[in-house]
Amino acid sequence: MREVENANPTILNVSQLPSRSRKATKPRQGPDSKCDHIVYSKRPWLCESSSSEEEDLEEEYGEDPVDAQDIYDLISPISDPEHPHTLGQLSVVRLPDIHLTPPPAERRGHSLVTVTVDLTPTINHCSLATVIGLAVRCRLEQALPPNYRVDVRMKDGSHAQDDQVNKQLGDKERVAAALENDTLKGMLDKMLETCV
Amino acid sequence: MAQFKQWALEYVLADDEPVQLELTKKAAKEIENSRASSTVVGNWAASVHQWMTLTNSNDDDQMEDGDEAGRGDIISRAKALGFLAGTLEALDKTILRPDQVQRLIGFFGAMFSYDHKAGITASAKALRQLYSMKNFKPEMGIKILEDVCKLKEDFRLQTAVTRLEIYELFLSLVEDPAVSSELQHKYGSACGFALDLLQLCSSERDPRNLMIWFKIIRRLLTEFSPSPEVTEEIFKAFSAYFPISLRSSATPIGITAEDLKEAVRNCFSSHQRVAPFAFPFLMQKLDQGDAVTVAVKVDILKTIKACIEKYENPQASVVPYIEKIWGSLKYEVRNGEVKETINATLEVLRAIARKLDGTKTHKHDVALIKNYIDTVFGDCKDDLSNPTYTKQAGLLLMTVITASIRGYVLYNASFIDIIRQNLRQPKSPTHTRDLLLLVNSILKTRIELVKNRKDGHSDDEDQLRAETRTHLDTLFHDIYLPIWTGKASEPGSDENDVLKQVALGLGLLVSQQALDAEGDVSLLCPGAICNEICTLLSVTLVKALTLSSNDNQSQDATLEDDVVLALRTIVMNYADGYGEILKGAKKEIRKRDWDGPSEYSLEALRVLLSRLVFIGCSEIPANIKLDTKPSVPYSPLQHYFWYLGTLVDLFPLSPQPVTANSYILSSLHASVIWFRDACEAKYGASALAQYSNSDKNWVKEFEQLPGGFLGQLGTGAILPDEGSLKEDDPEVYRQSLRLSLFVIRGLYKSATGEAPWSEQALVQLARTAAFVVQSLDEKLQVSCNLAQEAFSFFKTSEDQPCSSPLSGLLTVGILQGLYPGAMTELYRPEGVAEKFICDTSDLVSSPRASDIKAAVGAIYSNKYQAGPATSDEYQTLKRVLEFWTNWVKDSVASSDIDSDSFRSFTNVAMHTIAGAVARQEKLVLDLIPILHEAAVSANPNGEIVARSMGTLVQPNSEVLTKESHANIKRFYKQWAYNFLVRPLYALARPGSGKNPQTTARYSVMILSVVKNCPFTVYQDDLESLLRLLVTALSNKKDNSILSEDAAQAQAIAALEILVEILANEPDALKSFLREIISGTTKVYQESAPSNKTSHKTLATCRKLSLQVLGALPKTFEERYLLSFSPPTQRMLALACGDPVRKVREAARSARANWAKVI
Repeated sequence: MREVENANPTILNVSQLPSRSRKATKPRQGPDSKCDHIVYSKRPWLCESSSSEEEDLEEEYGEDPVDAQDIYDLISPISDPEHPHTLGQLSVVRLPDIHLTPPPAERRGHSLVTVTVDLTPTINHCSLATVIGLAVRCRLEQALPPNYRVDVRMKDGSHAQDDQVNKQLGDKERVAAALENDTLKGMLDKMLETCV
Repeated sequence: MAQFKQWALEYVLADDEPVQLELTKKAAKEIENSRASSTVVGNWAASVHQWMTLTNSNDDDQMEDGDEAGRGDIISRAKALGFLAGTLEALDKTILRPDQVQRLIGFFGAMFSYDHKAGITASAKALRQLYSMKNFKPEMGIKILEDVCKLKEDFRLQTAVTRLEIYELFLSLVEDPAVSSELQHKYGSACGFALDLLQLCSSERDPRNLMIWFKIIRRLLTEFSPSPEVTEEIFKAFSAYFPISLRSSATPIGITAEDLKEAVRNCFSSHQRVAPFAFPFLMQKLDQGDAVTVAVKVDILKTIKACIEKYENPQASVVPYIEKIWGSLKYEVRNGEVKETINATLEVLRAIARKLDGTKTHKHDVALIKNYIDTVFGDCKDDLSNPTYTKQAGLLLMTVITASIRGYVLYNASFIDIIRQNLRQPKSPTHTRDLLLLVNSILKTRIELVKNRKDGHSDDEDQLRAETRTHLDTLFHDIYLPIWTGKASEPGSDENDVLKQVALGLGLLVSQQALDAEGDVSLLCPGAICNEICTLLSVTLVKALTLSSNDNQSQDATLEDDVVLALRTIVMNYADGYGEILKGAKKEIRKRDWDGPSEYSLEALRVLLSRLVFIGCSEIPANIKLDTKPSVPYSPLQHYFWYLGTLVDLFPLSPQPVTANSYILSSLHASVIWFRDACEAKYGASALAQYSNSDKNWVKEFEQLPGGFLGQLGTGAILPDEGSLKEDDPEVYRQSLRLSLFVIRGLYKSATGEAPWSEQALVQLARTAAFVVQSLDEKLQVSCNLAQEAFSFFKTSEDQPCSSPLSGLLTVGILQGLYPGAMTELYRPEGVAEKFICDTSDLVSSPRASDIKAAVGAIYSNKYQAGPATSDEYQTLKRVLEFWTNWVKDSVASSDIDSDSFRSFTNVAMHTIAGAVARQEKLVLDLIPILHEAAVSANPNGEIVARSMGTLVQPNSEVLTKESHANIKRFYKQWAYNFLVRPLYALARPGSGKNPQTTARYSVMILSVVKNCPFTVYQDDLESLLRLLVTALSNKKDNSILSEDAAQAQAIAALEILVEILANEPDALKSFLREIISGTTKVYQESAPSNKTSHKTLATCRKLSLQVLGALPKTFEERYLLSFSPPTQRMLALACGDPVRKVREAARSARANWAKVI
């Protein structure tokens, strides 16, 4: 068994990870709130459409184009190849390092969108950086529509050989060839298992 | 003789147990027949002679050579002895004479000296039988013991079963009082036989045998008086097994490791004479440090505890070891980290304190417990000033002090005093918190001690009565108040924790009771202090309302929640406190302007009301004496009165129909629910049933009360008849309903439907009414004439009539809670209900009116109590149902009515009929064809009828519930489906000869009903149904026959049904896969966002179609899907860019599933 390169990475708690704050105001849960949902219900009484549908359905179905948080939600649950944690927890993937061009507000129809993800390896000589990059790339290609171009790179200065790694990750032929490799494919599948 | 020989031979040759049993029975019979004549018994014993003599001399050599013949001899000899033992087992126990018993004991006893190979099992069995003979004499027992012990080293070579037999024999002997007294007489305290036994059994390992062996040992220690030397030997024998464990085995033996531990523990704790060996031994085991695992440590501690509890004469058996025990144990708590060990240690320390205090009948000298607690006190006192050890030291002190009432009375004052001193110079907020935690724990334990004071020695209660209480009286001003005022101004999470402890402590402080000289109970705190505490905590309660949103940024409501809990505890004991709190809250609420309040103020009001309800109405207040006279005489309903009075007083907060007004009524609803729950918790859910025969007319009684009585509720006025209610009288429950009804009546009377009454306020009032009415029993509902009041709203000619179209909400409120039996009056011809339901004049003005009338209609047709078809009531119901059916039929083709109005009317018609459908009313069967006909009308209105057909199997679930006494038959959907849908499948098939519009309408009807049915209802018609589903999907867009809305709804219904089928019987879809895949793909593509249709509908369509599509690869093998894979995957890839997030999620999941189809 290969030795673990970075034995003690900093790990973030799941609750610390950036997330789309669903609804900022969660209903209060005090000892007295037992019947709040009955007596302060916002649903109109005796109304035709008041079956079991959720109250905020309208909001959930609002239009919401793909944004950086969406991309983050897609790739942060990928497992690290050597730690039992996700890339989000290890801060390999960070929300501010995800960029979409053009930004969501300026998009029209099925125009081309470029997703740039800058990864920060936990140590600057991480030999698994390429594998991680490959996994991120795979995940995004599987989950995004065809008009999205994916560009995965090492963040400037975060890796000793970032140029080389970036070159590998950017080369379509080399990526395709890598995916033909059964060992590598197995590793990637394992990393992507934690993505729902 | 020959006969016995023959039987013995047969026995030896037989292998079957039943055969052998039969033979022994025969032999026993023979002996019994001869009345055990010496000859017969002699013959019987001699019948095994041939096997005995042969091998006695040379068995050893033969066996060791493994000679087959020798082995055979041993086996047959064992069997021959088994024959004798078996006979003894079958033999009448009274028949053998003493000399015969003695001789037989001699014979079998000898086997233990001579025949270690073959004789032991059978002999042991035979001896046990002989022991149970009537003529068995105690001296014979001694002989047996001595004989058996001669087995010596060879004992361990016996099989476990044989040894078990011997252990059981021993146990019976030592447990026999006659034998044991004989043994004591013979051996005295030297207990020679015991030493022999110990030697014999010294290396037992079988768990079953050990269980009995430990019992024997325990017996030796308790019933005999072994000398210290012998005791030590015995101690060595069982302590060698400690700590005992059990290897897990594949074949369970019915004994657990816990059983074994318990058995060994019983040996340790068997008698105080073991104490000099047990305590040093156990302490030495404990002090091995890290070498001891947690499980072993707990075992040791439990054993120590058992010893302390069981040993008598603690002065001699426990006291000498206390210092040593305490010395070892204190570190387990002081520096311990494992919860289990800490708890077990505290148990030991508590056990010592209890032992030293005495028993229920005898108290030991007070010096014993004093010395012990002094030792602990001396060691722990200083630790209280060290934040690292405060908690642990406190825990140790708490444990020993509160273990007994005597200890508590002697030491709690000095304990609290030390804490008080430390609280003056706390090292950190957590230090303060930990010290407060200790004070609170003492208060909590004191409550328990006072509660259980009668369980112990009679001195205990006297002690508590004479307890000095000044240190408790001053707790509030000395400890809690300064800390609260000091910390409340500086928020921070540590400070918050301190404040929480203060709140908790104040709750506990007010709950303290004091015993006076007569043994009567009163509150310990004087009323003035209780009042001060209430005022102090109320500030936190109304804080949000008094501050502006900028000044109150705190997100953490846990302190407020703890204050609320404390206040609840306080007012349950100090009833007047609630009145004060309400007064303060009312003042703060009134200070604000409620005409146009901010979101923040509204939320603050809502939270405040919710908390006030909880504080006062979630429990029945206790009746405890106070030093001051309470403002009103005790009533269990007092708080409830006050709260309802406060609400009546506050309403309306604004003359405008604003949300704040409806919040007051929401709170009324909440208080009714909370108080109901409190009553059910205290008196049981069936408490109301005891009074089910009341025929009082409460409403009439209310009318006789002076006007304005409602307004006086808050000031302490109570309804007549209730003055003498006791705390634990279940009548409280019913009287609370009476009070609720009174308040509801008052509000109904004043409700006008105009300002300040908003729709929301009316809804809340109606729902509260429903809740109260449904709790009343049928007879009371009848005697109060509630069915009529539902339409007259308790109003008299002097009241302002409620003219709003929304007044029907109030009707629904009462009707909803009525039993069918209380509604009969409403079915009189030309009655008020019939008039209301069949009045169409008010429907056009307000769309809400349609919903309300629909609800009234549904209740009306559902709660009809079955009667003969000729009765007036039945005819009225029939008229109502026919009226609405015919109305639909007649106006469907009319051009006078616009589609919106028509929809409102149809809504009423369908719900009214649905109420009857739920009851499986046969009248409906005649109406269904009329509705079918209306639905296929050429007029576009027909489509409205067709689409609302599903309502018939989905009656209003808000008003028709089991709790509100609705009559919902279990299989009504199945019943309705048969008449409503089954006949339509053939007609809905495209190309069935009808015009396309008609078939489309039929299809709409079917899907609208099926969508509301569970799968089992339609599973027999899947084939026909699936055809319709596929058509509905593929014709969605180019369907000029249906309106766009209808087509959309049709597609959604079809997809929902498909999801259901996929979950229950996916195989049915197999032959439709092509159509389903192309259909769902088409629906997805056609449901792109557009401005014409609502986004939600389109998004739902897209999501459902992706859901169905995505489920296919999980259900069907690849070969069925392979040909559709490439286009589907392309489509799903595009769908991953859907503008709606929920749809994208469905698309990704579907895409991942399809990605595997290659």
